[in-house]
Amino acid sequence: MNLKGLSGGLYRPLSEKDIETVHEASLTILEKTGITYESGLDATLEMLEQAGAIIDRDNGRVRLPRKLVTEQVARAPEQVILYSRDGKNDLDLTEHKVHMGTGGAAIKILDLETGEARSTTLNDLYQLGRLVDNLDHIHFFLRPCIPTDIQESEYDINMYYACLKATGKHVMSGVNDEAGLHKVIDLAAMIAGGSDQLQARPFISVITSFAISPLKLCTQSTLIMQEAIRNRIPVALSAAPMSGSTSPMTMAGTLAQLHAEQLAGITICQLTNPGAPLLYGGIPGMANLKTMGYLGGGVECGMMNAAIHQLANHIKVPNYNSSGLSDAKVPDAQAGWEKAFTALLAAMGGSNYVHHTAGMLESMLTVACEQYVIDDEIIGMCYKVLKGIEVDADHLAMEVIDSVGPGGNYMIAPHTMAHMRSEYFNGNGITDRKSREKWEKDGALDTRTRGREIARKILAGEEKSYIPPEIDQAIREKFNILL
Amino acid sequence: MFDYQSIINALIECDQAKVIGLVKEALDQGEPAGTVLNHGLIAGMDIVGERMENEEMFIPEVLMAAQTMGAAVEILKPLLGEDDSAAKGKVIIGTVKGDLHDIGKNLVAMMLESAGLEVHNLGVDIAPEQFVAEIQAKDADMICLSALLTTTMPMMKQTIDAISEAGLRDRVKIMVGGAPVTQEFADQIGADGYAADAGSAAKMVKAMM
Repeated sequence: MNLKGLSGGLYRPLSEKDIETVHEASLTILEKTGITYESGLDATLEMLEQAGAIIDRDNGRVRLPRKLVTEQVARAPEQVILYSRDGKNDLDLTEHKVHMGTGGAAIKILDLETGEARSTTLNDLYQLGRLVDNLDHIHFFLRPCIPTDIQESEYDINMYYACLKATGKHVMSGVNDEAGLHKVIDLAAMIAGGSDQLQARPFISVITSFAISPLKLCTQSTLIMQEAIRNRIPVALSAAPMSGSTSPMTMAGTLAQLHAEQLAGITICQLTNPGAPLLYGGIPGMANLKTMGYLGGGVECGMMNAAIHQLANHIKVPNYNSSGLSDAKVPDAQAGWEKAFTALLAAMGGSNYVHHTAGMLESMLTVACEQYVIDDEIIGMCYKVLKGIEVDADHLAMEVIDSVGPGGNYMIAPHTMAHMRSEYFNGNGITDRKSREKWEKDGALDTRTRGREIARKILAGEEKSYIPPEIDQAIREKFNILL
Repeated sequence: MFDYQSIINALIECDQAKVIGLVKEALDQGEPAGTVLNHGLIAGMDIVGERMENEEMFIPEVLMAAQTMGAAVEILKPLLGEDDSAAKGKVIIGTVKGDLHDIGKNLVAMMLESAGLEVHNLGVDIAPEQFVAEIQAKDADMICLSALLTTTMPMMKQTIDAISEAGLRDRVKIMVGGAPVTQEFADQIGADGYAADAGSAAKMVKAMM
């Protein structure tokens, strides 16, 4: 059952008037309050100034007239296609089409054998890629953990390599600097058979956290973002303020500030290379006001992530955001409700590229193999909701109602045979629907244990590399591959 | 004897006008400034720190309490003698190189100040050699390293290594903190202490001094 790219737009927490109000507020923020910047962005500032931005270098403020912003934002493509290499998982990001996948930069994993949290390794990243490659509802692989067992200087190339070897689904990750970006583009071009082929069908993309909320440009990430845009590698303009600490306490205020940050980022990108593909990357979140840590599982995260899609859709730019996080430490009941609520709201909203939806626990700090299996099921159910209830002549079943007649049953009707594998959601096997007797006989396994069994079975399967041997060899000669 | 509990209560309630009124009242009654500071304000902030650690208070309330204390200390400052104002220890705090996050680190700095320590907050993106130079310049007793990003945690170890290489490791205690940091990680990289939140950080630093 492949339910990729179904349309949301069913849950609209903001009315049309609200959308206009927030969008106008964001334009006012950029015009009146403006944004600030770190040092080292002189060329970017000059580019903005030449385009009409008002730059107060003494006080470190950039004010963007609404005409400039509106014109530049209009140049961003309405549709971005992120390609896969398996041919089954191309992501057509536009309008309200929904795709959900992994995300994060976790440093801990619940070990599949011991069940205890330990540091993540490069091999974990590779194995998680293999796992996700086999879970149908997870539509892309965004590097979910950091290889803490290798040097930081080796992160960029090794993370992309591990992901690209493990799965044919679209791969997204981040890089440390512009040099790292060029290495990664080089790596991907080798696999693509040339940089033209890569640009034509980008099967990698890059996240850049260009904004430090509130309203500040981060030099390093802004430079990476501009360089990716110059090379037409799709970029997600990630910005993730937390209400109460790095954005206003209120949801509307958080949306207004975040939308302003996005408008500024898109303006910079489109001035850098008009028409280059990018994803609106607003991720509204919440601070835990008792610790100032990140709250991922709040139901409001789902509400705000649906709302931010409305704002992205308003300016006709496909969006990247976040849902399906949980603040629970293990795959327990809390993880279940937090993930189901927030993922479904983001999906029903119509978010185009929802990351963090599979595998994560403890906000963003921990991943678990069994959680990917559980979340694959949750995501599948989200898609099912989007698919909706079909009401055509065949589905209305008038003929079979008449032929079975009053007092009969539908168990062996051809109509039942024709629809029984498609009308209802068939998951990956994690959901228990046995009788108590059978369940007890099979070991009375709880969800987590069932998830671990499925994950073990997948990982015990034959390894296949998505990088052909001769290219793999060339890559290893050129780069310091540690996997 | 002045009723210091009233200052403590007003501070916990973040009632700045009331705290300042009570501090003036205590001084009018002839209470020494140092006693007002220690028995009233610092005692109050100790409770605030504890409540923060137990997640019984919202952080914005903790910030308000600290701000209130700061305003009251301004009144006491000119009246404090040499002995009173001598801080309980000198602490350097900063976010390690490559990391630009400062909310948590500033919270710790504020709680340390409120606990009566002399705090030098270096800011964010601080290179190992800058930490080393500041330890020497300020003759610090304690250094606190912060990181929020999982990718900048290795920089904590590099900073500790730089302090060791400069021959300063025996002179300073080192504490680490930040969302992804754990006790296990602190042990691994050879830090002296780790605290999960600003309230327990202040308590731990005081205990180590």
